[in-house]
Amino acid sequence: MSSPLQRRPHLRRRFRFAATAAGLALAAQALAACGSTEVDGAGDKVDGGVITYAHVQEPPCIFGGWIQQAYISRQVLDGLVTQDEDGSVKPWLATEWEISGDGLTYTFTLKDGVEFTDGTPLDAEAVAYNFEQFENTDLNGTAKVSIDPYYKKARAIDATHVEISLNKPYPQFLTLITQGYFGIQSPTALKTRTKEENCEQPIGSGAFTVEEWKKGEEVIFKKNPDYTSWPSTAKHEGPAYVDELHWKFVADGVSRYASLTTGQTDVIYEVPTVNWKEAEQRFDTTIRYITPGKPVSFFINTQQGVFTDKLVRQAFAHGADRKGAVETGFHGVIPYEGNPSVSQSTPDYNDKAADAYPFDQDRANELLDEAGWTERNDDGVRTKDGKTLSAKLVYGAGFIFTSEGATILQALQEQWKEIGFDVKLIPATMAELWGGKFSDPSTYDAMPSYWTSPSPAILWIVWRPSTEALPNFNNRSLYDNEELSKVIQAANSEQDPAKATALYEQAQQIIQDDAAGIGLYTQNTTMAVADNLKDVWVEKSQGEPIFSDAYFVE
Amino acid sequence: MSALAPSLRLPVVGLARLTALRARPSTVLALGFVGLVVVAAVAPGVLTDRSPTAIDFPSALAAPSWSHPFGTDEVGRDLLTRVIHGARLSLGIGLGATALAMSIAIVLGFAAALAGGIVDTLITRVLEVAFAFPALLLALLLIAIFGPSATTQVIAVGIGSAPGYARMVRGQVLNVRQAGYIEAAAALGHGRWTVIRRHLFPNAMRPLVAVVTLGVGQSIVWASSLAFLGLGIAPPNPEWGALLDAGRLYITTSWWLEILPGLVIVVFAVSVTTLGRTLQRRLEGAGR
Repeated sequence: MSSPLQRRPHLRRRFRFAATAAGLALAAQALAACGSTEVDGAGDKVDGGVITYAHVQEPPCIFGGWIQQAYISRQVLDGLVTQDEDGSVKPWLATEWEISGDGLTYTFTLKDGVEFTDGTPLDAEAVAYNFEQFENTDLNGTAKVSIDPYYKKARAIDATHVEISLNKPYPQFLTLITQGYFGIQSPTALKTRTKEENCEQPIGSGAFTVEEWKKGEEVIFKKNPDYTSWPSTAKHEGPAYVDELHWKFVADGVSRYASLTTGQTDVIYEVPTVNWKEAEQRFDTTIRYITPGKPVSFFINTQQGVFTDKLVRQAFAHGADRKGAVETGFHGVIPYEGNPSVSQSTPDYNDKAADAYPFDQDRANELLDEAGWTERNDDGVRTKDGKTLSAKLVYGAGFIFTSEGATILQALQEQWKEIGFDVKLIPATMAELWGGKFSDPSTYDAMPSYWTSPSPAILWIVWRPSTEALPNFNNRSLYDNEELSKVIQAANSEQDPAKATALYEQAQQIIQDDAAGIGLYTQNTTMAVADNLKDVWVEKSQGEPIFSDAYFVE
Repeated sequence: MSALAPSLRLPVVGLARLTALRARPSTVLALGFVGLVVVAAVAPGVLTDRSPTAIDFPSALAAPSWSHPFGTDEVGRDLLTRVIHGARLSLGIGLGATALAMSIAIVLGFAAALAGGIVDTLITRVLEVAFAFPALLLALLLIAIFGPSATTQVIAVGIGSAPGYARMVRGQVLNVRQAGYIEAAAALGHGRWTVIRRHLFPNAMRPLVAVVTLGVGQSIVWASSLAFLGLGIAPPNPEWGALLDAGRLYITTSWWLEILPGLVIVVFAVSVTTLGRTLQRRLEGAGR
């Protein structure tokens, strides 16, 4: 049998050049730009081949609670259910399900005969085991906070029926478990292997298996030839068309885009917005998906520092042209998002709340005057009782904020200066931000970040007040509002969708009125695909890239 | 453009003096450019009345024109203004790093040359090891420990380039030490320190002045490389390397953001090198 590499000589060439330096790539790109020839998209389907995909962030594990981990784990792990384009929940490992009248018991019927790639049967026991792990261990932090404290227990009724019971009704439960965080892993692997082994090579029932992880470079996935458990939303039935998927980490946007235009990669994630228009013209397939959930918005420290005063928070929101900065900095590609708590693609989005705090420096100045910051020092920064109006803005540089995003912060900083507000931009590395350097409330005043989710129940994860027994470290605004908590809980358990919508919208309004967070822009999945690769798509819940249906054409 | 006019007089002054010294045209040009950069570093307000951080969304990514000779960046900041305001930091890093490198070099070089024996062997070995260690790696290590900042850049580049200077200093000291006037000074009964201070140090260091001048240009290039890798000073500070880093994303779409600051760095490094060479020639001439 001839290997796909032999049949497709340009693929072989690609590997030889895989290590080309960015400079060469750029030069090649400049040349390619001069004389590019469009390949007709409608060719003959080729079996096999290797998809080389350039992603941005390299996660610490191949599965986990960060969206970037959900993206990569999706290649290996299957979920119980999945979300369709219209937002409805569709079968995957579960072919059907029943919800009890009181909304407390979900009984899933599983697809028969599915096996993990280590041979363990994917039965009701396995599913129940995974859910128990989600809730009771640190297997997946986001899975846990998504179902806390509604989840009660999971148990296998028989081999193909699993029952998950809740403490309180939670109609968002099904939507939440469509996320990649809820990928089902082999219980045998989880029980018998070390954490590290599972981290680097999780065992699922998915379309691909992890062959090798070359740290700092790429993860090599091999096709699972025995794949039987594709989701009902898949574009074809059966194992993946391609033999391998090489998931590369190319943090630099210029190199990433150049890698696609020079043919070193077949698909790239996060097309630099400055190249977006060109990419749309150049490639048959470009994908732009606005991720639902918390957009990239500022958490505002409401417990310590200048932002304990609501007037100062509101002045901060009015003081800079966030919309203008986003539209200019992202060249009109990524939408501005005025709503700090959920983005415009999230169900039950409150668009009125999004319009609060337009750019109005006169209003910002009034608010600051009213708040008592009336004096100015030699640098033009407002002062009050000898203290300067200064805020530390800590942002994840290179992984939450690309350089384009960072420029937007610089533009805002300049405008805040105009109203006498000194904002210090503090770039933080992933290790610093997640290693706890900025977990103490005294270390930051504002911290922009996102949290994707297909459900407005994200409000509960992010804005749940901290209690002694259950601190909420995700509430980085440290905003403990009992009223807000009650509204979100009522929304979460409301079985009448119209009423739930009204409650979720009310919750967003409370956050916005109090300026407990400040909106900035939506989190997005953008991708561009080489013309000889077809049927690459992103799923609905969070924009996870799907390669199991993709095939090359000649 | 009118903002540029006053500064143009500055090289003219130098030109008159240099013509008297029969300087080459390249030296005159180099001196003019370095003079301009020094003015930008000391008093950027003389060259431009714009703010390096002033944003202007409607004119984002404007190509070079009369109103923006270097064009604008992605949020409409004037690039020429940013380059002018970045001079202070870039020059400061260059000078600081070279000063640090020379200080280390002088201490190690003199100690090795004068103490001799085991001390010399030890220092020479350490220098050889330091030489073998790639300077960029060393810089990365320091930045990993102290975090990216101008100070770290100075320390990283300074330490990185110190071994080379130290070897030169040691060689010079060993050389000068043999000179007759040193022997004479010692014979006349001058104390050890007096000999070092009055005779050995000035004579050993004189040829190194040119090397130091070259080093400033080199340090700026190094520091810019670090900043280009995102390991330098944080934006929106317009340090030259940081400008290169910021412009990288636009290299295929808005060339001026990368090419123009890059040219400034190159021309400055070339100018400093030219001056260094001139100085070297003159000092050598004076020595003879």
